Amino acid sequence: MQTLRDIKILGAGCAKCKTTYNNVLAALKETNIEATVTKIEDLEEMMRYNVLTTPVLMIDGVAKIKGRVAEVKEIKELLTN
Amino acid sequence: METVKPLIKEICPTSTQVWVKKGALLVDVRESSEVATLRFNVPNIINIPLSDFEKRYSELPKNQDLVIVCRGGGKSLLATSFLINHGYDPAKVVNMKHGLIRWAQKRFPTIGDTSTVLDSDNLVNCCDNSTNHSTKSACCSSSKNGNSSCC
Repeated sequence: MQTLRDIKILGAGCAKCKTTYNNVLAALKETNIEATVTKIEDLEEMMRYNVLTTPVLMIDGVAKIKGRVAEVKEIKELLTN
Repeated sequence: METVKPLIKEICPTSTQVWVKKGALLVDVRESSEVATLRFNVPNIINIPLSDFEKRYSELPKNQDLVIVCRGGGKSLLATSFLINHGYDPAKVVNMKHGLIRWAQKRFPTIGDTSTVLDSDNLVNCCDNSTNHSTKSACCSSSKNGNSSCC
């Protein structure tokens, strides 16, 4: 049985954050991986994760990509490796 | 990855002036291109862009008061939180609310083109749009020396 992945996108609603979010959805669709996807846009909430530059892509509690858009291809690689 | 949310003190530009006069170091976390256009004109200031902050934050002294600043007060809040999570004293590290935008509105000293932050989209009334953070805010209630000189 496939484990449900936990994906968070941290960012204050900027264009890069929205693109990352959309890329995550696309990557999940292409890989048929199930995940809970959460957007964290609140600054106070972001402070809990000690982030400086956004967007941040977190997979299963680990920050994988910081400060730039995560592309579909690399999200797929991160999810499958 | 998740850390405890630190208690962060925030002060307004007027209180920042008091802190600066008492020897605090202003830490501008805007990118270099932004600083080239418009910068704070205060004696003690260092620019560490947020993109370099993780590598360079240790340049900041732990025994000096630090006021973290940016354009609007959001990015500097993240940097303030980061510093406190990395062992800086929460009593010595504060975020300046509303950033350079409010600083320029109040005609505090700057060098460069203020029109980049004084357009109509940026105009806000002092202290009526406090950010919704559960941070300890000193703006408009008390400055470091106890004076309520803000706004």
